[in-house]
Amino acid sequence: MFDFLIQGFGVALTPLNLGLAFLGALLGTLFGALPGIGPINGIAILMPLAYTLGLPAESSLILLAGIYTGSEYGGRMSSILLNVPGDAGAVMTTLDGHPLAKKGLAGPALGLSAVSSFIGATVAILGLTLFAPLLAIVAVKFGPAEFFALMIFAFASMSAMMGKDPLKTLIGAVLGVLISTVGVDSGTGVLRFTFDMPELYDGIDFVVMIIGLFAVSEILLMLEHAFRHDQDGEMAPIGRVMVKLSEVLHCKWAILRSSVIGFVIGILPGTGASVASAVAYTTEKRISDHDNSFGTGNMRGLAAPEAANNASAAGSFVPMLTLGIPGSGTTAILLGALMLYNINPGPMMFREQPVVVGGLIASLYIGNVMLLLLNLPLAGVFARVLQVPRWLLVPSVAILAFVGVYQLHSDLMAIYLMLVIGVFGYLLRKFGFSLAPVVLGFVLGGLMEENLRRALSISGGDAAILWQSGLSIGLWVAAALVAFLPLVAGKLKAKFLPAAKAP
Amino acid sequence: MNLAADRILSLLLLGLAAFIAVQAWHLDVPFSYDPVGPKAFPLILSALLAILAVVLFVRPGPSGQWPSGALLLRLLFTLVLLFVYAALFVDLGFLATTAIVSVAIAWLFGATPLKALIGGVLLAAGSYLLFTYALGISLPTGSWIEPLLGAN
Repeated sequence: MFDFLIQGFGVALTPLNLGLAFLGALLGTLFGALPGIGPINGIAILMPLAYTLGLPAESSLILLAGIYTGSEYGGRMSSILLNVPGDAGAVMTTLDGHPLAKKGLAGPALGLSAVSSFIGATVAILGLTLFAPLLAIVAVKFGPAEFFALMIFAFASMSAMMGKDPLKTLIGAVLGVLISTVGVDSGTGVLRFTFDMPELYDGIDFVVMIIGLFAVSEILLMLEHAFRHDQDGEMAPIGRVMVKLSEVLHCKWAILRSSVIGFVIGILPGTGASVASAVAYTTEKRISDHDNSFGTGNMRGLAAPEAANNASAAGSFVPMLTLGIPGSGTTAILLGALMLYNINPGPMMFREQPVVVGGLIASLYIGNVMLLLLNLPLAGVFARVLQVPRWLLVPSVAILAFVGVYQLHSDLMAIYLMLVIGVFGYLLRKFGFSLAPVVLGFVLGGLMEENLRRALSISGGDAAILWQSGLSIGLWVAAALVAFLPLVAGKLKAKFLPAAKAP
Repeated sequence: MNLAADRILSLLLLGLAAFIAVQAWHLDVPFSYDPVGPKAFPLILSALLAILAVVLFVRPGPSGQWPSGALLLRLLFTLVLLFVYAALFVDLGFLATTAIVSVAIAWLFGATPLKALIGGVLLAAGSYLLFTYALGISLPTGSWIEPLLGAN
């Protein structure tokens, strides 16, 4: 049953792939550490690199996954040292991380969060190794109708759990799906929404979309930030970098509990690090906050969300590798990257692409160890990245964006399109949308339509096929449950915990 | 507090939904093997978008601060800069364009003119060397510089 893992280590341990895993870990940590950039932007900006190097599919996925996990490590630095979360997943880390830094414990906080991240990721990678093959066996039973229902479930759970505004999450997802319909319809050859522009015939290119949406809009947002609070907060001195064993042991249950919570939430399609860390933090606060010190620099309050968000990162690979449904915005980007290699995500991937899947999972183990080794002693060095002035950072992001897109297309139209999408992304963010649902919709949109149409051709147009099998009924019910659960839970909470403060 | 932004957004989304529906409706489909065809999916989506937009109109949320005044001007200027970057990228070449744009952006983001000049030029040169020699990416040299280098 674990042949894929042995084969995977064979792939991941080649010098090239080891080097790429290291490069990914290093670049990911650096980019995640950049103030305000955070994991999802980090991977979006660095993604074209994987193509420009002309790597085979598994190597480029190893590099990208390294960047992903690396930026989750790096993302904690600006949270702890500057109180600036790089993205939604790092917000919880600031609650106790920054107070610790203010107390002069920045170094131990960085060390502890690195160890918690390592343990969280390890638990989740073990879980991934155990569960993914099992789920892949079930997944083979999925027909088009079940797939369609699964994607509805993914969108339902995403809108219920992601962000504070379910309505805007849904609207974002619909917009993403709509963008995926641009281009030649594969079934009939009809051109949809191309407005006679040949550049759009192949649809909106994934890389152009991602870079525009994240990198370009980020440039505009950074200008606002720079303008509004002219300088960033003073960086806390780091001090002793190593964390004491006793401090880790003090948090061991918090870390383990949060790792499991993170992994389980990571598996749920559409919900990522932000939900995982929030749930872990509130759970831990309930369990072990006896003296009301959470939020004032409690070590456990720092360890819990860090373990959870790294665990959820690895957990979100489970649905991505077994069902082809990304578990988070970032895995949606990875999935889109795989599609560029003509690898069809879906239940057959585990069977048809053992090299890619096994290599990726094995490299997660390796990368995780590399990250711990990089992050413990070098925390101080990475922290210096935080001091890169914005006026140098922003042109660098622009250069990476332009070169990335130009390298792939050698076409100025693609760059203009990227800029237009960037303005669109900026406006969405200003209207209070998060971009992950848009990406998820964009990546899943094509598959969703394809499966819907395949299902209906099988039944000759009878929509009842969509809810005929037990599996699909289960998925529809699950979708309905997740969609309405928060409403019910919110009411219950209001009833029983009138004094509960919203996180 | 500022509910107007969401209301305006919902009207825009309604307009978008209508536009998509009309576009999809007028798609000329000569032949379709499957009973659904290419029209249905966008039509369903536009209906969904319209419903969500109406809900948004009825229950708008507060929106953040919108840029105005000097900040808006800076944003527009940055955007223009990026489009200029795109327009000159090939003809003027990576090195020159990147240097000019980097200096301008650095200055926009609050660097002193001297710092911006040094930083921007170094950034352009450094990234050019990195991309060309370390990563083997060929970047546009610029049509004006090629005659100077001799024909090849």
